[in-house]
Amino acid sequence: MKKIACLIIILFSLTTFAQQKGDTIIANNPSNLKLKVLYFHVTNRCATCRSIEANVRKTLNDYFLNKIELGTIDFYVVNCELPENKELAKKYDAYGATLAITSYMNGKEARTEDLSNWAFQKAHDAEVFVAELKTKIEDYIK
Amino acid sequence: MKTQNKLQFASIVYLLMVLLFAGCGSSGNKTEVPKKTDSIRATENPKEASVPIKDTANKAAVAPVSNDVSKVMIYNFHVTNRCASCIAIEEATTKTLKTYFENELKQGRVKRRIVNVDDEANQKIAEKYQAFGSGIFVTRIYKGKETTTDLTGDGFKFAKNKEERFIEILKNKILEYLK
Repeated sequence: MKKIACLIIILFSLTTFAQQKGDTIIANNPSNLKLKVLYFHVTNRCATCRSIEANVRKTLNDYFLNKIELGTIDFYVVNCELPENKELAKKYDAYGATLAITSYMNGKEARTEDLSNWAFQKAHDAEVFVAELKTKIEDYIK
Repeated sequence: MKTQNKLQFASIVYLLMVLLFAGCGSSGNKTEVPKKTDSIRATENPKEASVPIKDTANKAAVAPVSNDVSKVMIYNFHVTNRCASCIAIEEATTKTLKTYFENELKQGRVKRRIVNVDDEANQKIAEKYQAFGSGIFVTRIYKGKETTTDLTGDGFKFAKNKEERFIEILKNKILEYLK
């Protein structure tokens, strides 16, 4: 019976862990901060939502890695349905998949742009998505 | 007795594995394309549509509407294996139409189609709207000219957890396009 109990526990753990991935929050140096890139998602995600995240990550990894290391850009990928993210989600009006960027001037929030509609339009063309997001980010961190 | 225990153990393990894989098997198989979920199979020519109508919104296509009057077409695109947000968008669209546009639906000024983009029969319409997955598009047709707004982003952002916000956005867009 012990063996069966162990087996049940292992199987349940596997299925549970497969669905739960931690949020990504990278904020390296608040005094250098010029831009926050935030992507919110729900718990049960579709392929389009995942491709948006992948495209955002690719843009940052390919072109802005040093800016992230310096703290010029912060990057958030958070589940808007989790209680710990409720306040942040409310601030960004993010009740489902939402891509937003917020610029900072002298440590204060300057401007927020909601890129959700744009992101869903371009999600299926990674090349265009990455190129356009790269330009947008460059404009903000000039 | 030992053999009996082993047998019992083996059958429980087998049962658990069957249950586990049955649960996982519901996603990822795109070869089976159930077309029953489409309320209508979209074609370039609405007269060609022959699939049974599920949505009352589609029953409105009765009297022809003059070209001088603006008409609104709403497309709910989806793939075969749908996520909760995609389903929520379709449900919120139905609610919006039934609550605010019952008359326009009857007059044929507002129409809605639910289109599975995985179905080859819908390839043309999906390409026209560049709909590769879930999406909601609102098109105004006036004097033969089409203007389209893509509300997919708003749909994914609000329809599941803040439905009233999405209904408001969709309602306002339809009202604007009906002018």
